[in-house]
Amino acid sequence: MDILMGIAMFCIPPLFALVIHNYLRHGEMTGKRKVIFYAAYFVIINLFSLGISFLRGVRGIHFADMTMTYKIKYISVGAVSGFIFPFPVCLLTEDIITFGGIRRYSVRFINDVRKYFPYAVRSARADLRSEVSNSYLDWLWWLIEPFCMMLIYTMIFGVVFHASEQYFPVFIFIGITMWGFFSRSVSGSVNTVRASKGIITKIYMPKYILLLSKMFVNGFKMMVSFGVVLVMMLFFRVPVTWRILYAVPIIVVLFLFTFGVGTIMMHYGVYVSDLGYITGIVLSMLMYFTGTFYDVAKRVPEPFGDLLAKLNPVAFLISAMREVLLYETTPAAGMLMMWGGLSVILIALGAFTIYSNENAYVKII
Amino acid sequence: MADIAIDVRDVSIHYRILNSISVQKSFFRRKARSEIFEAVKHVTFSVEEGGILGIIGKNGSGKSTLLRSIAGVFSPNTGTIDLKGHSVSLMALGVGFKENLTGRENIVLSGMLLGFSEKEIEERSQEIIDFAEIGDFIDRPVRTYSSGMHSKLAFSITAMLENDIMLVDEVLSVGDEKFRKKSLSKMKELISDDNRTVIIVSHSIETLKELCGSVMWLHDGEMKEIGDTDTVLEHYLKFMGN
Repeated sequence: MDILMGIAMFCIPPLFALVIHNYLRHGEMTGKRKVIFYAAYFVIINLFSLGISFLRGVRGIHFADMTMTYKIKYISVGAVSGFIFPFPVCLLTEDIITFGGIRRYSVRFINDVRKYFPYAVRSARADLRSEVSNSYLDWLWWLIEPFCMMLIYTMIFGVVFHASEQYFPVFIFIGITMWGFFSRSVSGSVNTVRASKGIITKIYMPKYILLLSKMFVNGFKMMVSFGVVLVMMLFFRVPVTWRILYAVPIIVVLFLFTFGVGTIMMHYGVYVSDLGYITGIVLSMLMYFTGTFYDVAKRVPEPFGDLLAKLNPVAFLISAMREVLLYETTPAAGMLMMWGGLSVILIALGAFTIYSNENAYVKII
Repeated sequence: MADIAIDVRDVSIHYRILNSISVQKSFFRRKARSEIFEAVKHVTFSVEEGGILGIIGKNGSGKSTLLRSIAGVFSPNTGTIDLKGHSVSLMALGVGFKENLTGRENIVLSGMLLGFSEKEIEERSQEIIDFAEIGDFIDRPVRTYSSGMHSKLAFSITAMLENDIMLVDEVLSVGDEKFRKKSLSKMKELISDDNRTVIIVSHSIETLKELCGSVMWLHDGEMKEIGDTDTVLEHYLKFMGN
């Protein structure tokens, strides 16, 4: 039994990765490739898991005195990384990664964005208008909805769980506003192509423009919520400093990062018809790792709290925003720039993948 | 001889049936069953500037697929399609209509999708509204339209915003008797314009005879014949009769 478990903890996570990989490759892997990729994932994932357990202070592997909890933790770390690793691997093994290809696609991307930008804005405006055109309270809903959410969360976490952050309602409101933007955009991106069947079967347009337009809608709502944040800051008499200017780059990075993740999810959403459910689950898990209701760095035990706050970009951006607006601290500008750069890479990966595949989308949906 | 406007070389298009997969399928089925269906096989032809080419063939012979790939909606699997830098549009009704918006706003949205700038559309929009003949409904949400009004507006948008190359999937005539006549004659006017290159897919022998300079006959994805309208149509009719 022990031996079996020992083998399983090394072998199951890469198997998981292989299934996901196969899945992203539309089930077209040949037997030989499966073996090669399994071996590759075996090495990568086990190195990753061992690396983490090394950081946690487990030096060396001794099968004899390994506890069950350690094995289970090892498998779950492996499973999570097995879920994440196939995505970059699949993206990097697309055929577009050549210098000439990158240059060509970049020029095309910039031209296309410039060309279709007016449409994206117009379509976002139209969506916003049609969303409220029939409701009784009209655009007031954009204020009422996040405000009520804030009341609910403040009540639950402030009264029931005794959270004790300074300016707690504002603190929580910033969290849900930014997280709401990210999660709405990403979960929406999965079905974007399917939902716009009427347009894309008739004319050509770069498919990420559809996503961009949707993000403008969500972005507008986020801005309205930030208006509410400003009012709340006045109400709670939060001292305001020049650091408030940092809010602009923070929002820009959030937008870029969301767009990057969105384009990638959008591409896979076309091929995998039930990716929506998976994204839903992963997003709600991530919500708790993002510190929407609490401070990740303070509440999660060492060293994970600090790690999470730095490596989860949304968590980082949310806490940076709180520091700037509420606590008069300067955020880590280097980190901000790094995430900005990484977001640009994500966008490039996503947009280029869409370019090289988008003409096949119509045949599938 | 005039310049060539559309150059199609050795184009093949495959469809893969059943390729969208789900988690459950990838776990429980060994191989994702993917049949390949060849819709268009090695088709080569060209149309000169201002020319009108008709495409005929029985249902499912790949006519619309070919047309859509010329429009750039999806790319051929092999071969090339060169439009020599001309702008192209597929005659499609009501692209990107949003039900909750007024007709006026939908004109702008739809026009932008067809590749026109906001300014160009503003200039034409009165013309479109006049042609559509839907009166005050232009300022009401599209969802309140009758299906006739819906297609009248859609037709007017496509007809008024023209491109260099026009791809027509069945000559459209919509609405009531009066509008049907009007739209048909507008179509003919657009098609016959000397500066415009047109490809028409149709089942109607009369339409093709009346409008086309040459006709291509597709059969099961293969090009059976291309050339003079009367000869090709005669062969086609003889073939279908048997």
